[in-house]
Amino acid sequence: MLKNWINIFFYHIKNNKLFTVLNVLGLAIGIAGLIFATLYWNDEQSYNEWNPNKDTVFQVLVDMEDGKVWNNIPVTMAPFVKDDSNIEEMMYSENWYQSILYKYNGKKIIVEKVFNAENNFFNFFPFEFIKGNQKTALQNENSIAFSQKTAVLFFGTENPIGKQIQYEDQILTVTGIYKVNGNSAIAPDAVVNRMKAKINADKEEWGNFNNGWYIKLKDPSKAHELEAKIKSIFYKNKIAKEAKEEGITIKQYEAQFGAFNFYLEPLAISRMDTKGPGCPEGKGNYQFLLIMIGLSVLILILSIVNYVNLATANALRRAKEVGVRKIVGASQSNIIKQFLFETIITVIVAISLALVIVELSLPYYNEFLGKELIIYGSQFFLEIIIIFVVTVIFAGIFPAFYVSNFETLKVLKGNFGRNKSGVWLRNAMLILQFAIASFFIIGSYIVFQQVQYLGNKDLGFSGEQILEIFYFKPDAIRNDKNSEQLIFDRYTTTKNEVSKIKGVEQVATAALRFGGGNDSSSSFAYKGTNIQGQNIAVDFGFLEMMKIEMIQGRYLDPKIASDTINSMMVNETALKMMKEKDPIGKTVDWNGNKLKIVGVVKDFSLFSPQGKVPPMVFFHFKTIDWMIGNLNYLYVKVNAENTAQTIADIEKFWVKNVDSDYPFQYDFLDKSYKRTYQTYVKQKNLFYLLNVVVIVIALFGLFALASYSIERRMKEIAIRKTLGAETNVLLLELSKQYILFCIIGFLIALFPVYYLLNKWLENFANRIEISIYPFIIGFVALLFLTLVVVLSRAYQATRVDVLKYLKYE
Amino acid sequence: MIKIKNLSKVFRTEEIETKALSDVSLTINQGDFISIMGASGSGKSTLLNIVGLLDSASSGSYQLLDQEMVGLKEKQKSKVRKENIGFIFQNFNLIDELSVYDNIELPLIYNKIPAAERKQKVEAIAEKLNISHRLKHYPQQLSGGQQQRVAVARALINDPKIILADEPTGNLDSKNGNEVMELLTDLHANGATILMVTHSDYDASFSQKTILMKDGIVLSEKTNSRNVDVLITS
Repeated sequence: MLKNWINIFFYHIKNNKLFTVLNVLGLAIGIAGLIFATLYWNDEQSYNEWNPNKDTVFQVLVDMEDGKVWNNIPVTMAPFVKDDSNIEEMMYSENWYQSILYKYNGKKIIVEKVFNAENNFFNFFPFEFIKGNQKTALQNENSIAFSQKTAVLFFGTENPIGKQIQYEDQILTVTGIYKVNGNSAIAPDAVVNRMKAKINADKEEWGNFNNGWYIKLKDPSKAHELEAKIKSIFYKNKIAKEAKEEGITIKQYEAQFGAFNFYLEPLAISRMDTKGPGCPEGKGNYQFLLIMIGLSVLILILSIVNYVNLATANALRRAKEVGVRKIVGASQSNIIKQFLFETIITVIVAISLALVIVELSLPYYNEFLGKELIIYGSQFFLEIIIIFVVTVIFAGIFPAFYVSNFETLKVLKGNFGRNKSGVWLRNAMLILQFAIASFFIIGSYIVFQQVQYLGNKDLGFSGEQILEIFYFKPDAIRNDKNSEQLIFDRYTTTKNEVSKIKGVEQVATAALRFGGGNDSSSSFAYKGTNIQGQNIAVDFGFLEMMKIEMIQGRYLDPKIASDTINSMMVNETALKMMKEKDPIGKTVDWNGNKLKIVGVVKDFSLFSPQGKVPPMVFFHFKTIDWMIGNLNYLYVKVNAENTAQTIADIEKFWVKNVDSDYPFQYDFLDKSYKRTYQTYVKQKNLFYLLNVVVIVIALFGLFALASYSIERRMKEIAIRKTLGAETNVLLLELSKQYILFCIIGFLIALFPVYYLLNKWLENFANRIEISIYPFIIGFVALLFLTLVVVLSRAYQATRVDVLKYLKYE
Repeated sequence: MIKIKNLSKVFRTEEIETKALSDVSLTINQGDFISIMGASGSGKSTLLNIVGLLDSASSGSYQLLDQEMVGLKEKQKSKVRKENIGFIFQNFNLIDELSVYDNIELPLIYNKIPAAERKQKVEAIAEKLNISHRLKHYPQQLSGGQQQRVAVARALINDPKIILADEPTGNLDSKNGNEVMELLTDLHANGATILMVTHSDYDASFSQKTILMKDGIVLSEKTNSRNVDVLITS
């Protein structure tokens, strides 16, 4: 039986090479898309799966009702909850990766992902220990644990345990080597225990939300009780006191400054469902994941529809075969099995081809996602089997039943080729294909418009010819008693020297990074409104150099003494929130400093062009002296001529005089800023690529279907021609139904595309409104392509020899 | 072997009711060779299709091997058909996409005969019908007579109780037509039961009995007295 089925299957393949190839290719592309989405999904879902504590370890988050949820908490809390019976243990950390340069044996290596946590870190993240003891690895403050691959960089094949490495002016001893098996919310290259000083410095500071706080619970179901407890401790020690000082009730305080809500969030959901900013490895882009899955499912549907359409259309040609098989004894179930068998083989081939496509394009996909996905794992193979079964069911069951229901007698009497049954279904599917194609064409055009809008948006600053140079501050300086002065002096010297280099037009800085934000935010009250402003300390001349304009008042001026003492500026957004018509000269109480407004800065993009401009306050580094600690970049304007030489000169100077350890890292600001919306550029490109795929598959389906349907109507065409129909009348006759389907499909797509793309555009504070153009362009494009395909087929049909079809039968 | 009593077949469209068969009765015994003649629309093909279980009667009784066939479900019909009936058509109805061997083998597959036995049977019958050298070919590569011989081989391979032939020579020239008729006569001589629909008096003369139909009723039955001169031409 199998052999017989295979024989006939291969016969059809041989005689319909083009359609078979396109059909399999269409399915393969659809399946490949789904495999890509699945790999992505698996990777995201696998975060923390390995961690036995994923349900008992909680990260404490705080919602300050300013639109952001933070994952940093004051370290003052721990002593108040340490006796809570539900807490097994707690750990404070610096909740981000630090990039630190270590020296060993003359080697200088920057370890990109160093995590600083209290010594019980490995009880929360029990990585596999290859060398050393997990329990005692971080016991001492001068100990460091390395990941295996980092250790190899330093020590090669030597045993790393006990080796001493140099960190600035200190010596650290390697006490452990671990391996991170699987995706982890925190997957550091090295772990250090240097929290004691940080905790000591902040131990009375209820307002310093500086550190990540991880808590392991005995009974995770009672996490909410602890949330409430933390909140009440915070209110008792911070809010109640401040409200008292202000002479208002806690309710009034909350109304004015916003409430503080604390959450305990288990590691298990810290990747995909977190309310906060995620752990150091970042949080998953859930929306993008859904988009990927949605689009790939659409493409798979498209290719399955193609398959079904072709299979049923083709079945008419095979009607005789089915009839004969039935007569010589095949039962209906037998015919169903045969056609399912063909689908199964096709799908197996398509899946194999899909796997090849995935394997070959995985590197590009990984680059696109910034991941290291591999085709592997029992879960993945299970999913492949599910994809297989689902595809076979949807692609195979219908045609098989359709064919098996052919009435033997009608089939054998001939004339079955013009059978109408199943036509409505093929047409419905064709409409569905048109709808999906419309969705993609319109959608990708809207995405294109939005991304272009971001690219062309006036950022409010000019990054042209501006170098952004990473400016490292050694611990020795940072931790010095006099650190503010030291940093400022060091900066001033550097600035003066760099300014002298030929080609350098200006050097300035501010405690911010364009596209990266500014790491500091304080609230201040003005006329009863609370404003959570972004704090930006600047050097003289910085705003002018960046071509950031003033709306009112003036820039800071080195000649005016008060500008380093009590002058401040606000931006437009802040001014709007302050509701002050005449801000110049008004005084603001900012964290206990009485500052006088001297200017209003025009809004410029701080984080990324898609985000809203936050309220910002500006002052000179000297005015609020601790702000100098946030100075991380130097901005240098260079002459457009001989830029390369100028950069080389700066580098030479830098390595010699500023920092001999850290490599000279710079970028052109306009280039680095573009990366802030890189994700969306990538999404646009993805949408484009998928668009092409979808259109190709849909057009192929249309082509095949039009061919079949015209073939069925050949006798009609021949009669019409005999009766004197002209070519263009025939062409209209043959294409009009497809034009109708095209319009219906387009109309069906309208609402979903409008709704979903609007949802997507909600990601952007600066967004386009959906105009009519994408729809017009989409419709015209679709109609044009439809006509090209259908007319080419129809034209061929009108050229045929009339006699051949009239004599037939 | 076949007992048909008062069999009627009515085709209904929205407005018209057409009686294709009305109260036909007929008995076919083991070893009979009966031909049915009649003009287009006389109901002869309908009768053959009902006997072949491809079509169902509106009323009356049709017993095949003492088993009532009217009212049988499709699945049961399919079973009876594959075990008892062999078909030969005017247009051969070979599957173009399968080789001669595969075409002949088909009924055996559906009757779940083991592969080794299938091979043996196909080769034996091909030998008998003189198409052994054509087994690897596809139907289009064969002459009409050869195609019909393949169809006969396929009809016989399962040792059916009765062979139904629907104008087996209709698409053949007289030489090839003769060959096929001689083949059927041979089969009959060896004991096969054959029911044949034909337009041709000549073909009918090969059978024992001719039934003439008109407008859905059996007009006359006559027994053919002619002794066939077997002409061996090939």
